[in-house]
Amino acid sequence: MSITVELTYDMSKALGARSLEVEGAATVADVLRLTRARFGERAAEFERLTRVAALAVNGVLATHRRGLRTPVADGDRVTFVKAAAGG
Amino acid sequence: MIRGYAGRVLEVDLAARTFAFRPLDEDTARLYLGGKGYGARLLYDMTPAGIDPLGPANPLIFATGPLNGSVAPQSNRFAVVCKSPLTGAIGNAACGGSFAYGLKRAGVDVLVVRNQSPSPIRLEIDGDRSQVAFIDASDLWGKGTGATQAVLGRKKHHAVIGPAGEHLVLFAGIVSNERIAARTGVGAVMGSKRLKAVTAGGSRRLEMDDERAFKEYTKWAGAMFRRHPVLGERLKRVGTSGIVSTTNPRNILPTRNFKYGHHPDALDVSGEFMADHALTGVKSSCIHCPVMCGRDVEIEGVGRVKGPEYETVALLGTNLDLPDLTRVSEWNHLADELGMDTISLGAVLGFAMELQERGLLDAGVRFGDPSGVSGLISDIAYRRGAGADLADGVRRMSEKYGGRPFAMHVKGLELSAYDPRGSYAQGVEYATSSRGGCHVQGASMYMESTGPLTINPHSLNLKADLPVVMQNLACAINSMVLCIFTTYGIVPRFIHEMNPNSPAHRALTAVFEHSGPLLRLAFGAKLAPLVWFEKWLTYITGERFTSGRLQEIGARIFNLERMYNLREGLTAADDTLPDRMLYEPTFPGMTSGHPLHLLLPRYYELRGWDRSGVPTARTLKRLQVRI
Repeated sequence: MSITVELTYDMSKALGARSLEVEGAATVADVLRLTRARFGERAAEFERLTRVAALAVNGVLATHRRGLRTPVADGDRVTFVKAAAGG
Repeated sequence: MIRGYAGRVLEVDLAARTFAFRPLDEDTARLYLGGKGYGARLLYDMTPAGIDPLGPANPLIFATGPLNGSVAPQSNRFAVVCKSPLTGAIGNAACGGSFAYGLKRAGVDVLVVRNQSPSPIRLEIDGDRSQVAFIDASDLWGKGTGATQAVLGRKKHHAVIGPAGEHLVLFAGIVSNERIAARTGVGAVMGSKRLKAVTAGGSRRLEMDDERAFKEYTKWAGAMFRRHPVLGERLKRVGTSGIVSTTNPRNILPTRNFKYGHHPDALDVSGEFMADHALTGVKSSCIHCPVMCGRDVEIEGVGRVKGPEYETVALLGTNLDLPDLTRVSEWNHLADELGMDTISLGAVLGFAMELQERGLLDAGVRFGDPSGVSGLISDIAYRRGAGADLADGVRRMSEKYGGRPFAMHVKGLELSAYDPRGSYAQGVEYATSSRGGCHVQGASMYMESTGPLTINPHSLNLKADLPVVMQNLACAINSMVLCIFTTYGIVPRFIHEMNPNSPAHRALTAVFEHSGPLLRLAFGAKLAPLVWFEKWLTYITGERFTSGRLQEIGARIFNLERMYNLREGLTAADDTLPDRMLYEPTFPGMTSGHPLHLLLPRYYELRGWDRSGVPTARTLKRLQVRI
């Protein structure tokens, strides 16, 4: 089961990729764990960058569903979201 | 005269080449503040229904408010009001730059331009001598907005049009410095009058009721703004285009004429990318603004130009399937020089590309292909070839070529860059906004899609309540006249710093989402001036401004605008969204589009309107809206 994870700009810079694929995730918490693993030794940096980034499944914030327990399915897009303002 | 006002309305007749200074009406100022509120009242009273927006009977009203001319942060904006040639409804647009300051220093609260000049003309208002010079502008006609201001002198305060306004492009704007009163075609109305530029200046000082308290408070507010995570940090660092990092993941970033809300390469036009790759370090701001959200970019082959804002990178970038910062910056610069609204421009280009894709029009432009776009932008401004049709906006194009279900406008005004299928309250705002599909007539999307604490944008909770409160507040802010960004300061730092995946954040969101009555109670309270704009208004005018009073003023303005539109023949049927937004799902699991039909009845009820969307006599009486 493959999930596409889209990173924030800052996370992309740290990892050198805009997105990545993770396998075997059943919930948003799993996606978070598997993405953290990709950061390897830079786990602290990952924690810093994700502290202010929400997670969305196919555009819907996990917090508006079941939080980190929100289920994910094959082909879903999970994105890290930064709050912004202006326009 | 109430403090904070110069006390003068300047009326100019371009046909007769006469002018007169008249006293500002104090009662109107109390009821409508200034800016777009005062302008709407004047427009309603001065004109009968059915005037030709590009004819001599349509006045062009430049209006400031009691905060303009002070040094309050973000307070140097003016409103332009007239009947819109694009929508046929009330037209208005707000602009930063420095013209509001110049007008107020000239001792003019409101400038009303009547009739039309037979030849290109410009005005110079000398407030100290109470004189207006009518100067031949044949030498400036045809020049871009930057070039025009350069000729007139960078140290003075101007409002000018470019070739798009001269050629009556229905979404032409009016420019001051690098800022533009972009929406609803106010620049075309100025062009129809053959008025190339207005310059205003003088040495009038704003009189305040309690200057000492104002200064002390402003010092505190300025420092708070500079420390604020949005006003002092994020907007400074990544500008408004940083919003891409929120709207794209949340499926509300217009992509391929709003068919989708997500683009895989959107980060290439994000504020973060711009900061890393193109910023020169030179920032720009409206006069006296500490936020400095404007920034210059250095683009190969283009040079140093103003960096594009969020709306521009979305509508001219991902909406055309062209998330290319170089191209977007080039087109943004071109549109600014020609004097055009980049939101409407991006929408007409996106619509033309979809028409092309479906074989309904050959304008020579295709999604994902930059060739032909620069040329077409110029053709629009000069109404050449296919550009002549695009210059009339999306609604008229769809009437001529078809494609109504994917013509992205409301009441004729092209949609801003927030897809309402992922932002239900914003959709209600688009549908009910007096000027059409616009995001700054309320900006509910901040509370449901782009801010640090957002309610579920896909539930029905609060989606009728929030737009009412936000639209009222925006009406008041656009009448002071203040930058709407100032409202971002209301959200405190601790909210921004909360972990958005934490249980506490979830709980707070849930409480917010069910706070309809509380929200109305809090915003309707008339306890004391609490927020900066309430305090500034109180210190400057000497009158007591509370959240409740501002809600009342905002509702009054909104209802007056509604009555203007009804008089022009608009009905509840115009309170709608494009079919694409109503019927096409945008993400997996979504079965339909925006549930507007479920929200409008409640919205009308909260507004005190009947089922046909008409303000009841009781509502008009309660709000003192004279018809």
